[in-house]
Amino acid sequence: MAMALDTDPQTDDADLLARYALGDAGAARVLTVRLTPRAFAQAVRMLGDRAEAEDVAQEAMLRLWRIAPDWRTGEARVTTWLYRVVANLCTDRLRKRPRMSVPLEDVSEPADPTPSVEARMQSEARRDAVRAALADLPERQRIAVMMRHFDGASNPEIAQALGIGTEAVESLTARGKRALAAALKGQVSALGYEEG
Amino acid sequence: MNDMTQSPQGPGDDDRWIDRMLDEMADLPVGEVPDALMSRVLADADAMLPPPGGRVARAPWWRQFVESLGGWLAVGGLAAAAATGFAVGLGGLESIGVNVPWSLEYESYYDGTGAFDAFGWDMEEG
Repeated sequence: MAMALDTDPQTDDADLLARYALGDAGAARVLTVRLTPRAFAQAVRMLGDRAEAEDVAQEAMLRLWRIAPDWRTGEARVTTWLYRVVANLCTDRLRKRPRMSVPLEDVSEPADPTPSVEARMQSEARRDAVRAALADLPERQRIAVMMRHFDGASNPEIAQALGIGTEAVESLTARGKRALAAALKGQVSALGYEEG
Repeated sequence: MNDMTQSPQGPGDDDRWIDRMLDEMADLPVGEVPDALMSRVLADADAMLPPPGGRVARAPWWRQFVESLGGWLAVGGLAAAAATGFAVGLGGLESIGVNVPWSLEYESYYDGTGAFDAFGWDMEEG
């Protein structure tokens, strides 16, 4: 299936969604090409599991199709709405996951710099720990931290997504990272760091 | 590749090791979107496609009302004009001898002492 090109790059997402709500199947195709890869990438980073990420991306897009007739142009950006939906779906899944099937303390530091099975396990354990800690953050802190680090979003972009002032973004992100640090503090060594 | 084995040192280190962890996750290759996923998303879209000419949500009633008056600028002007008219109206009442609410005082509104005097009760008690 070759479907990589956005055939209507000039048209705004909200306009395409309005066209879909009026029964335009072509608009759905453009939105699918434009938005599904973003939703999928975000879900892969948050979940670390491609199969689960596929489910989340499909569910998020399904919700988009469902909300299309009620979408109010000008009240929110489609990409922002979708970002939050994906983030919340991923968070729900992360919170249901059993925490740390392999205790971090049991994963020793690899002696050989080439990535061994142990090193890969440690990296994966580290990422799982960060994902779990992210899932425990309040929604706005989580989204601010993710947008900043995973998407390289600027303060104004984060502010717009969260409906807050630009000046509040720095403190929100800082609080999120402090909470992450507190949650992971006891595992610093096992995460691949040495406590100073 | 980030060096994940550096020791945190000094103020701000919390941020740095958290930053490195998050950056490491951001650097993970995501890979191509599976074609099967794109097909499923499109199939969902087709299944939920509204009929031709289906409805598009209308703006909420308050927004329709504001827009029918000419937008927020017009509503602001209207509010200012209404407030001015109200103040002018009250001023006009004062000029014909009617007390406007903010000029009423307790004493002039209810003079209890005068009423008791009128009945001569102060004389009886004296």
